[in-house]
Amino acid sequence: MLNLGNFRAATCSGISRRAFVQLGASVPAVLGVAGLPSTVEAALKGRARSVIFVWLWGAPSHLDTFDPKPDAPSDVRGPFAAIETRTPGLRFTELLPRLASCSDLYSVIRSHVTFAPGHPDAGTWGLTGFAENPAPAHPNFGSIVARHRGSRGSLPPFVMVGRGIPRDVVRIVEGWGGGRLGGSVDPFMISCSAEGHAEIPSLKLLDDLTPTRLADRRQLLDTLDVAQRKLDGTAAALGDADWSQNFRRAYGLLTQPAARDAFDLSRESESTREQYGFTGFGQSCLLARRLVETGVPYVQVNWSEYVEAMTPNCDFGWDTHIYNFELLQDRHCPIFDRAMSTLLADLKQRGLLDSTLVVAMGEFGRTPKISNRAARDHWPNCYSSLWAGAGVAGGRVIGASDAQARAPVTNPITPVMVGATIAEFAGMDTQARAEMNVLPGGTVIHELV
Amino acid sequence: MSWFNSLWRAGWTILSGITITVQAPAAAEIQLTHDGVVKTDPVFVDRTGQELVYVVNDIPTRMRLMKLRLSDQTISPVHPDETRAEFEPCYSNDGRLAAFVQSRGNLSLALVVQETSGMKESSAVLGSGFAGLRAPSFSPDGTRVVYSFPESGRQMIWSCNIEVNDRRMLIDSVGTNNWPSWSPDGKRLLFASSRDDDFEIYTANADGTQPQRLTQSPKQDIRPRWSPDGKRIAFTSNRDGNYEIYVIEADGSQPRRITNHAERDDYAVWHPDGKRLVVVSERRGKHDLYLIDMP
Repeated sequence: MLNLGNFRAATCSGISRRAFVQLGASVPAVLGVAGLPSTVEAALKGRARSVIFVWLWGAPSHLDTFDPKPDAPSDVRGPFAAIETRTPGLRFTELLPRLASCSDLYSVIRSHVTFAPGHPDAGTWGLTGFAENPAPAHPNFGSIVARHRGSRGSLPPFVMVGRGIPRDVVRIVEGWGGGRLGGSVDPFMISCSAEGHAEIPSLKLLDDLTPTRLADRRQLLDTLDVAQRKLDGTAAALGDADWSQNFRRAYGLLTQPAARDAFDLSRESESTREQYGFTGFGQSCLLARRLVETGVPYVQVNWSEYVEAMTPNCDFGWDTHIYNFELLQDRHCPIFDRAMSTLLADLKQRGLLDSTLVVAMGEFGRTPKISNRAARDHWPNCYSSLWAGAGVAGGRVIGASDAQARAPVTNPITPVMVGATIAEFAGMDTQARAEMNVLPGGTVIHELV
Repeated sequence: MSWFNSLWRAGWTILSGITITVQAPAAAEIQLTHDGVVKTDPVFVDRTGQELVYVVNDIPTRMRLMKLRLSDQTISPVHPDETRAEFEPCYSNDGRLAAFVQSRGNLSLALVVQETSGMKESSAVLGSGFAGLRAPSFSPDGTRVVYSFPESGRQMIWSCNIEVNDRRMLIDSVGTNNWPSWSPDGKRLLFASSRDDDFEIYTANADGTQPQRLTQSPKQDIRPRWSPDGKRIAFTSNRDGNYEIYVIEADGSQPRRITNHAERDDYAVWHPDGKRLVVVSERRGKHDLYLIDMP
C-alpha cells in the first residue's frame, strides 16, 4: 500500500481516493544528475550498485548485542548469555539468534570510536564523518553517493526511510542531508508503517484527484503550484530551480507506475512481508530492498519508532537509559534480529547481496559499566557495526575491544573511515572524493574485503 | 494447531544438569485479537474473567491500554482521551483499582493508581532524571502495590500504598529484579532476578526475606505469574532457543513447556478459572492475543 501525504492513494488494492497533489513546504530536495554515465558504471563493477545504511538511532548497547563480554564482572556483562554464531569463535548475545545463524553473510567491526557524547552531535559525526560545526554541516554519506551517482529514472538517488529527520527532544541531527553539497542531494523522506503502508509526508493530497488522473490535469496543478509557492516561504527559500526539481520529482513519483510500485509493499507476497515482521522497522527494511531492486543508489533506514514509547512523541530509538535489558530483550533486539537477518537473506536469495552494501550501526555505544539506573548510558569510546554485501567478507571480525568493551585495542575505526569506505564501495575513489571535496582524510577499511 | 503436538512429547532439556522439561500435550486455543499490531501486558480486570486489558502500540510513539471483552471480542481504549504512553496495567482482585505505568516526560515514568470508577487517582514519578518504575502489581487485599525500580546500579523490588506513599524496599541484590507479584494468599513474593547472571525465577517471603531460586536455566526465565490458586507459576523462557511459555509448580518442580511455536510466545497471564492462559503470540510476523487451554 502506498500512502501519499495524508491520504491513501490508488494502488493495486483498488482503493481510489479523490485527491489532488500539493507539494508541501517541507519537501526535501531530491534530485541528482539524471542518468548514470557509463564511466561510473564501469567503475562500479564488483562494487556496490546500491547501499542500504541501517541507522540504529539512539545507539545500541554493543555489549548486549555484537560484543558480549561474558567474562567481565557482573556490573559490566549484564544478564545475557553469549551464544555461538555460524562463525567459529564469534559470539553474540542470545538476543540475536537469527543473525548469529547467518554470520557467514557479514562482517562485524568492534572497534568504532566517535567524538561526541550526545545524540545530535554524534549523529552528525555518524552520518557525515565530521563535527556539525562549522555550519553548514558536511554532507550525509548518502548525499555524497547521490551526487556522485545521480538518479535512475524517476526515483531519487537518496531515500531516507523513517519518521522524519533523526532528532532528540532538543534538536535535529544537523548532518541528516546534503549540508555543504546543498539541498539538491537531501534525502527523499518516506515513512513506512508497521502494516507496510509507505507514506510520503511531503506530498499533501487534496480531496479532488487520484494520482492516476494527475497526468491529465498537470496544467491545473502547475497553476496551483505557483499559488502555493507564493504562500510558502520555505519553497521560496529553496529557489526556483530546486522548487521545480522538487515538483518534478514528486510528480514523477505519483504518475510513473514504476516509481509508484517501488514504494508499494502490497506487491510483495504475504510470506515475504511476514518474514520481515509487521513492525515499522521490518517493513522499512523490506521497502529498502524494493528500492535497491529498482536501482536507488542509497537508502538509509532509520530505526525510529515503537522503540521508545516511554518518551512522549519522540524517536529515541535505542537510547536505553532506563530498562536497557528489558527493552532490548522485549522489543529492540527481536525486531532488529528478525528484520536484519531477513533483509540479508532476502538480498542474497534475489542475487542482490553481491551488488548491495549493507551497513548497520548507531551513533555510539553504551556504557560498559551498568549505570545508576541499572541500565546503560552513552559511550562514544567503543561500539560495533555490521557490514555485508558488495564483496564484504563474511564471517569476519574486524577490530577488537578490551576486556570490558571500553575502548578498542586495535586501530580505532572513525566515522570518516566509515564514510570513505561506503563511498569507495559505491564507486568513489580517493580522487573522486577529492574532486567533490568530501570526506577529506578518510581512509578505507580494507579489512572488510 | 501446528505449534502444539498432539501427544506428549519428551522435551529433554538439560537445565544445569538437574531439570527436565516436558512438552505439554495439545491444547485448544482461541485467537482473541486479529490486528497483528505489537501488543504486550495482558491482564484480567477481575475474577470474572470477562474482560482483560492489554497494551498496544496504536501509533508508533504511544503505548495505549485497550480493554477486550471476551464474550464478543469487542475492543475499546481504557482511556480514550489519554495522549501519554501507558503500559503494564494491573488490577486489584475486586477490579476496583487499577495501576499502571504512565509516561510523564523524557524517560520519566509515573506509577498511577486509580479507582476504575474514575473517582480517585494517585500518582507519583519515582525518582528524578531518567527514572521510572516497571511492572506494578497489587497485593491480594488491594492495599499495596509492588513494583520494580532501579537505583544505585541495581534494580530492586519495592512496595507502596495505593496513595503511592510509604515506599518500602523488599528485594535488593546485584543485577536486575523485576516482574514482582504477591501470591494469592499474600504470603510469598514472586519475581525474576539476574542476581545469578541470567534471569531466573525466585520466590521470597512476602516481606522480601529468604529468597529462593526456583529455576535453573542457562538462558532467560522472565515474567512469572502466579496461578489463581497459587499452586503453579507460568513464565516465559528462551531455554529451548525460542521464547515460549512454561509452567512450574510453586516450588519450582515439574517444568512443562506449554507453547511450542517457531516465533515468540510471551506475556502469559492466567485466566481466573486457572485452567487457561492468555498469551501474546507472534505468528507470521504479527502479534495477537490467544486464549489457550492448560493441557
